[in-house]
Amino acid sequence: MGTLLSSLNTALQAMQAEQEALSTTTNNIANANTPGYTRQTVSFTETPPVEYAGQLFGTGVGVAQITSQRDSLLQLRLDQETQQQSKFDSFLNSMGQVQTLFNETAGNGLQGPLTAFFNSLQRLSTNPSDTNLRQGVLSASRNLAQSFNNIASSLSQLQQNADLSVTQSVGQINELTSQVAKLNTEISAAQTAGQNPGTFMDQRDQLIKQLSGLVDVSVIGTGNGTVTLTTSSGVALVVGNQSNPLTAQADPTTGFQHIYSLGSDVTSSLTGGALAGALQIRDQTIPTITGALDSLASNLSSSINSVNQAGFDLNGAAGGNFFTVPPPGGTGAAASLHVAITDPAKIAASLNGTPGDNANVSAMLALQNQPIVNGQSPLSAYGNLVFQVGNETSSAQSESTAAQATILQLQNQIGSVSGVSIYEESVNLVQFERAYQAAAQVAGIINTLTATAINLGQSTTAA
Amino acid sequence: MTIRVNPQILPDLLASLQASQQNEQNGVQQVSTGRRINKPSDDPAAVAALVNNNAQFSQDAQFQVNLGDLQSRYQVADSVMNSAVQLMTSAISLGAEGANGTLTAANRQTIAAQVAGLQQQMLSLANTSYQGAYIFAGTNVTAAPFSQNPSAPSGVSYNGNSAVTSVQISEGQSIQTNLPGDQIFTNASGNVFGALNDLVNSLNSSTGMDAANTEVQKAFNQLNTQRVFYGDALNQVQSKENFLSQDKINLSQQQTNLVGADLAEAITNLSQAQVTAQATLSATAQVLNLPTLLNYIK
Repeated sequence: MGTLLSSLNTALQAMQAEQEALSTTTNNIANANTPGYTRQTVSFTETPPVEYAGQLFGTGVGVAQITSQRDSLLQLRLDQETQQQSKFDSFLNSMGQVQTLFNETAGNGLQGPLTAFFNSLQRLSTNPSDTNLRQGVLSASRNLAQSFNNIASSLSQLQQNADLSVTQSVGQINELTSQVAKLNTEISAAQTAGQNPGTFMDQRDQLIKQLSGLVDVSVIGTGNGTVTLTTSSGVALVVGNQSNPLTAQADPTTGFQHIYSLGSDVTSSLTGGALAGALQIRDQTIPTITGALDSLASNLSSSINSVNQAGFDLNGAAGGNFFTVPPPGGTGAAASLHVAITDPAKIAASLNGTPGDNANVSAMLALQNQPIVNGQSPLSAYGNLVFQVGNETSSAQSESTAAQATILQLQNQIGSVSGVSIYEESVNLVQFERAYQAAAQVAGIINTLTATAINLGQSTTAA
Repeated sequence: MTIRVNPQILPDLLASLQASQQNEQNGVQQVSTGRRINKPSDDPAAVAALVNNNAQFSQDAQFQVNLGDLQSRYQVADSVMNSAVQLMTSAISLGAEGANGTLTAANRQTIAAQVAGLQQQMLSLANTSYQGAYIFAGTNVTAAPFSQNPSAPSGVSYNGNSAVTSVQISEGQSIQTNLPGDQIFTNASGNVFGALNDLVNSLNSSTGMDAANTEVQKAFNQLNTQRVFYGDALNQVQSKENFLSQDKINLSQQQTNLVGADLAEAITNLSQAQVTAQATLSATAQVLNLPTLLNYIK
């Protein structure tokens, strides 16, 4: 049998334990809507018994630990999925603008100017000596060249924007990794002191989630509570309490920012997050589209030029270049396409030198259906480009939608482990409250008993 | 132990609200624009096909403009030919009159003067231009094709060439646009100017009347033969015009099939989306107002 005083102590310990449990529950309820908060649970444990008169007596209850209920595997999957989705979203953000340049359903794009150009040649063929019709060809070709220029410059602008967002992302990543490194320090300190580092871990999870929106980050636990962050290809971002900042440096040939870690160029190894989306737009998608546009512009202009050179103008002189000569290899052709002639008489419509002959303008017109652009007619080549732009956008859209659904599902799963349930917490609240009341009652009773025991030796005078 | 469910229901509710709102918006857009496809990513293949379709439509419209132009030109040429045939008819009757043995040389010279007048009219007909280009000059359209030349056997010289031009009037089909003047007016098998010139000379000299008249008749026949070209061309233009109008209707139909919304379907989808959106909203409202255990703890 234990002593009265030890029982009093047991009751007090119980009150203390219930109070801790109550405060944890209160904290859970308080943070029910805090993003990234992980619910905490209290586990009670019996305190070691004491031996008295040959018997073991329980000494009460203590709080063994406060645990954050988290599932790091689910968190890992959520991070990975977030990396995918952010990449698609950043890609889509640019592609949405790219595809308006080619939105033929709204009359934007090259089909109109391209067809109008050939139509003007068509019209000229009916009366090749008519100056008005020749003027019509000149304005249609200027309009075509202008359309090529506009699309090329919009594409280049979007590429610049993507480059700018690369620089911004790098800055954000560095800020986040330095915060993670600080939290690593706090967590390992808390862990060493035997405390629950749950709050710090919640903060770190939130930071890693933000990082996942920017770059592909892999989280590796180290056992002492700290994590090592690397990119999926192994570029170290955070090791222990150290973060390795990324640096952005302009490439001397392209002028675009390349990303360096500890002196080596890691640009092409980044595969996730908004950063990878911007890099894909800047380094792959837009260059491909611009390349196709350049090829169309350079092949079309050189073909028209060589036909024009084969004929004779209104004054019977041999024809020259119709468009400016495209740059060698075609790179930049769309941006630099211009009509070389200003005098409508210089259009070499005639093949035999007489002003009424339309054989050469007919030959120009025939280019419309000839495979002059990598084995395709100009319009088919352009149609392919429109398809390619639409297709890249729509497949990124499907991927983003799928990733979004997965994210929602993962968030539900994480919520089912870590989310605060008001029902659950209310039940706990009542339970701990009642236990506290009971322990207090016990303490009161024992207090009375103790007083009785103390008063045993005194003479009690009847009142 | 039962599996714990996610106590946070709001993200789920918001996601389904967003989804039904998106569906509603799509429906409204389809019904209001009448289009199923509004950007390349909606259906990349259909938009690529639309590029071709639109190009063909605009090409057809251009062909129609060209046909209208060709038609006017053929009509001008045809009416010139008609006048030329009438001039030759007059020449034939004047020639027959001149062949009358009772006429005096002076009478014949008067007739010759009349034929010379016809000759002048014929010359101006042969130098007809349309929109700044001489239509009987081959491809040498900037200079008058016929000029008076007394030393030439036909009385005129031809400054044009024998080239013909043709233009496309539909995908892959061309039509000849002109007949060179030498083929019409100074053709070896019936020389209009030659015949008129010989007739004037015969009338003036009162010799070789029969030969001159035969020559005029041959030239008349030749002119009529050449005129058939313009009649044929006008028929061809008309039938091509009909074809192009039909083709444009077909292309519009195809365009609707490619990007247009099926209105009945779009409206049904829209009402469905609206019903779903309302159901989601009312479910959300109910869930948000559910009492918690705390309501019952006293």
